[in-house]
Amino acid sequence: MTVLLEMKDIHKVYPNGTKANQGVDLTVHEGEIHALVGENGAGKSTLMKILFGLETPTSGEIRYKGQPVTFQGPRDAIKQGIGMVHQHFMLVPSLTVSENILLGDELRKGFFSLFRDRKRELTEVDQLIQRYTLKVDPQAKVEMISVGQKQRVEILKVLYRGARLIILDEPTAVLTPQETDELFHSMKELVKENYTVIFITHKLREVMEISDRATILRAGKTIETVQTKNSSQEEISKLMVGRNVLFRVEKEEAKPKEPVLKVNHLTVPDDKGLEAIRNVSFQIRAGEIFGFAGVEGNGQTELIEAITGLRKIKSGQIEYLGQDLTEKTVAQIRAMKIGHIPEDRQTTGACLTSTISENLILDCCRAKEYRRGPFLEQKKIKGFSQQMIKDFDIRVQNEDALAGSLSGGNLQKVIIARELSKNPKLLIASQPTRGVDIGAIEFIHREIIKKRDEGTAVLLVSAELSEVINLSDRIGVLYNGEIVAILDNSTPLSEEEIGSYMLGIKRQEQEAVAE
Amino acid sequence: MNTRKTLTLELTGIIGAALVAILLGIIIIYIVSEEPLTAIQSLLLGPISSAFNIGTVLNKAVPLIFTGLALAIVFQAGVFSMGAEGQLYMGAFVGALAALYIPGLPVWVHLPIIFLAAICAGAIFGAIPGFLKAYLNTDEIVTTLMLNFIAILSTSYFVNNIFKDPASGGYARMQYIASDLRLGRIVEGFTAHYGIIIALATVIVIYLLLYKTKFGYELRMVGQNSRFAHYGGISTKKIIILSVVISGGLAALAGIIEILGVHGTFKDYFSINLGFDGIIIALLARNHPFGVAVAALFYAYLQVGAQLMQGASDVPRELAVIIQVILVLLVSSQAIFTFLRQKYLLRQGR
Amino acid sequence: MIQAIWEQVLNLTLFVVLLRVTVPILLSALGGMISMVGGVVNIGLEGIMLLSAFSSIAVGAATGSWLLGVVAGVIISILVSMLMGFFSIKLKVDIIIVGFAVNILGSGLTIFLMNKIYGLTGNYSPEQLNRIPSIHIPFIEQIPIIGKLLSGHNLMVWVSIIAVFLCLVLLYRTPHGIHLRAVGESPEAAASLGISVDRMQFIALAWSGLFAGLAGAYLSMGMTSMFVKDMTAGTGFIALAVVMLGGSNPVGILIGSLIFGLGSTITTIVQTIPGNQIPSQFVQMIPYVVTILALIILAIRKKKKQLELTSQSTTQS
Repeated sequence: MTVLLEMKDIHKVYPNGTKANQGVDLTVHEGEIHALVGENGAGKSTLMKILFGLETPTSGEIRYKGQPVTFQGPRDAIKQGIGMVHQHFMLVPSLTVSENILLGDELRKGFFSLFRDRKRELTEVDQLIQRYTLKVDPQAKVEMISVGQKQRVEILKVLYRGARLIILDEPTAVLTPQETDELFHSMKELVKENYTVIFITHKLREVMEISDRATILRAGKTIETVQTKNSSQEEISKLMVGRNVLFRVEKEEAKPKEPVLKVNHLTVPDDKGLEAIRNVSFQIRAGEIFGFAGVEGNGQTELIEAITGLRKIKSGQIEYLGQDLTEKTVAQIRAMKIGHIPEDRQTTGACLTSTISENLILDCCRAKEYRRGPFLEQKKIKGFSQQMIKDFDIRVQNEDALAGSLSGGNLQKVIIARELSKNPKLLIASQPTRGVDIGAIEFIHREIIKKRDEGTAVLLVSAELSEVINLSDRIGVLYNGEIVAILDNSTPLSEEEIGSYMLGIKRQEQEAVAE
Repeated sequence: MNTRKTLTLELTGIIGAALVAILLGIIIIYIVSEEPLTAIQSLLLGPISSAFNIGTVLNKAVPLIFTGLALAIVFQAGVFSMGAEGQLYMGAFVGALAALYIPGLPVWVHLPIIFLAAICAGAIFGAIPGFLKAYLNTDEIVTTLMLNFIAILSTSYFVNNIFKDPASGGYARMQYIASDLRLGRIVEGFTAHYGIIIALATVIVIYLLLYKTKFGYELRMVGQNSRFAHYGGISTKKIIILSVVISGGLAALAGIIEILGVHGTFKDYFSINLGFDGIIIALLARNHPFGVAVAALFYAYLQVGAQLMQGASDVPRELAVIIQVILVLLVSSQAIFTFLRQKYLLRQGR
Repeated sequence: MIQAIWEQVLNLTLFVVLLRVTVPILLSALGGMISMVGGVVNIGLEGIMLLSAFSSIAVGAATGSWLLGVVAGVIISILVSMLMGFFSIKLKVDIIIVGFAVNILGSGLTIFLMNKIYGLTGNYSPEQLNRIPSIHIPFIEQIPIIGKLLSGHNLMVWVSIIAVFLCLVLLYRTPHGIHLRAVGESPEAAASLGISVDRMQFIALAWSGLFAGLAGAYLSMGMTSMFVKDMTAGTGFIALAVVMLGGSNPVGILIGSLIFGLGSTITTIVQTIPGNQIPSQFVQMIPYVVTILALIILAIRKKKKQLELTSQSTTQS
């Protein structure tokens, strides 16, 4: 067993002060599948970007095949035989599969080698596909093929360039279970031919199923590297989260009252017109937190957009305090004391080129008390902004600072301040703590629970299963656009229990789901 | 960094860019001219050498302030309209018709009607590309450019045929508008007409509209981040259409005031790119109304200076165009301004 | 009057005029297309063409060689487009603003130079000028109809037709073309494989400079034999419209250019017919109205398609 790659004491501090890696060690053996595990924000992606030459480390050493190496860019890493399949595909949609595989390394012929040798290109790609049994039509345009096939194209791209070490960044996040199985099969085939695979994930089941060894990262540090077969999901999950489970939120038992939101047989199309949400029904009552668990892309985004009026529905009802929301405009819905923390704070939740104050007054600029005739009451707005900055502990000089200059946590606090300050009867929180530092996470969780105790109905969506479990009083599981289970969480459920619903393995009876 | 510091920094950058552009202009003069000192003197000092010239600068600035404001508004809403030129013609044309063909009204009724007619014409004409963008997502750059040609050519047709003053001979123009309807001089013996006062008042109105009202807030949010605006319940379609309508009205004001203040009648092809100059002015002003006033005055100063230079020396007045182009490119360079900002932050950090 | 037009169709005058007026539209539209493929919207075509028209006739008249004139025009155009690249890619000025600035510069600088060099203000028509030659094909010239169809056209007519094929080969048959398309469509993907986005966009602009340069040279030394201030008169904008309509396909660009060329041809012919009742302004307006209508129709079709897609997939499930 020879050591292929060693990364020692890697530190990475971003210009904005984020410490993504604080002393990470990683040793990868030749011919193994090595899982890199950790929660979101643990530093996995940063580490791999450093390895692939996309980021330069602040300090630390990388040894590849026993030699110390430094990569200025991806090109250097590729030359050394390192390839990366990014989480977001790097493909050109209108080009064919083979054109994408060969992009930048085309085979040439003719006058001054100016032309493409399309015949030879096709045979080479065909051979490549045959050899690794990664089935995909080389002449199909990439925009026409499925997600699983796109991923194969990415892997073929990496193989074509002669990579021996292949980094897969959360490859299963976008795949169906069958596609995941096929991917795992291909990975095993590759390892048989003595390729090495680094597999980034936060899904423990996959770690157990496919990897030989696993390195666990937490908060930018290496916690441990384990032999998978000598370990268990429980052990790894403990290492991932830490012994004394962080973010365990103190909360009293919920005292739910009257229903605030009733969703009945709702069907919502996605951007392509396919049904992203199918015949979904649920209720949320005042004073409870209803959390949605589910692998991302199972309809969560579309569901929330439908409730908040941002997306047209196909059929069904959305009833809020006795009023039908489906025909209402976004402005009307926002005026009905519905708060919405959107999943993407950079592009949707905030306007980075505007001031904090301008970000805070999105709703109150419509309210009468902030206006005199056509004009906005500047003094009141200023007072309101300063109050919000104080109440929500937004760390900033003053209300005229640009939102774009804030850190992730502080920006999220601006959004939360805006959405909570209108005393919502219904609060919709989508990924409320994504990419936010620990201090801010605790603060945000406390605020959400405080609102619940004041009688707000809360709809929570999070990719962090632990967050859903910690906060929610009841949990709905979304799988492939449907609610497959609605579970009582008054005594916290285990991740495994919910996980089997999330993966579509288990499913409650229809009546139970429909309540 | 807060907004005030950003503002100071931007201002320094823009003034620096203006100095660089003028310096380059002077270098060009030295290269092409045999009497560079005369040329430079008349370019830089000519416009303030006499009361007459100062008045000319003010008069030239008037339409530029209006077209600059027109474009500042649409740019702030995130619409890259190039249609001010066409809207200006439509406004001037309809306004001139209202001045000539509505008989028997007292001046104080007639004048507002003229302005209103012009504004409506510009606004309606401006609404076309707005609707097309809001509902069909057609590229506003191309549609507005095409509509400019349509406006210029169709007004040219009417003034050559139907509304031509029989006494005009070879010129294509309407009859002269009654002198009591024209914008007189503010002070007798000084060339500046009342247009500059209307223009500066409009600057303040637009400033208030953009920065002190709910509508202005919504407009700016749509321009800066339309997803954020949509999420916040702002109707982006409504804002886009209203912005082009207001913009069209402002461009039309530029046209009718130019007719009432300078020409006294509608001629075809009378606006030599006033609408396009407005684009430069809005860019230089970073779309801020006060900036528009300053930039328009600077621009007018440069034009008058160039004109005087052409008369006094061997340097053609198009030198001004070259200076403007350099200036607009420098001011629009995000790389330069990011660099300045970083330098500033670095100095702060020490 | 329709009869008069019909006569011109029959005796092929319409065809000959059509080729004449289509050339500048086609060449500049091809330029606009290539930069668009590379992800750069070049609205400065108008200005580049003016600069090329002026420099080519100036050099052509001074040297007595049309070829040197064309070469000078093209070189200037490529230099200007490189300068555009410098401002948009290196100094991060919005490419629309750069293009707009080049249009103003093209108009102003040519007038400035015409004034400074020749002391003229309106137009410059050199007494001695070797224009870009017309190609007379021996024998074929003698055949009645085919002769007029194929022979006697300006060299630039053939160059522009070759240019269409060149673009086809370039975009679909060469690695270079694939890289251009990749950079224009998904720059991150191209960059992740070591293709320099900046470099490709510079090259894309250079291509558009080359084609717009040829178009400009043809304006002053092929179509006419003089430089008139602002002589492009919107050709660059029409080309831009052709790019919007024809997309990134050279054949689409050719068809689009022919449609607009036909508009201008009819304009020219109608104006020369004696006793014509239609005012020239309205005839001149045709291409602009057509552009807007075409954009609207295209947009409506796109919207309908999307709607159909939505309803189809929902009824399927």
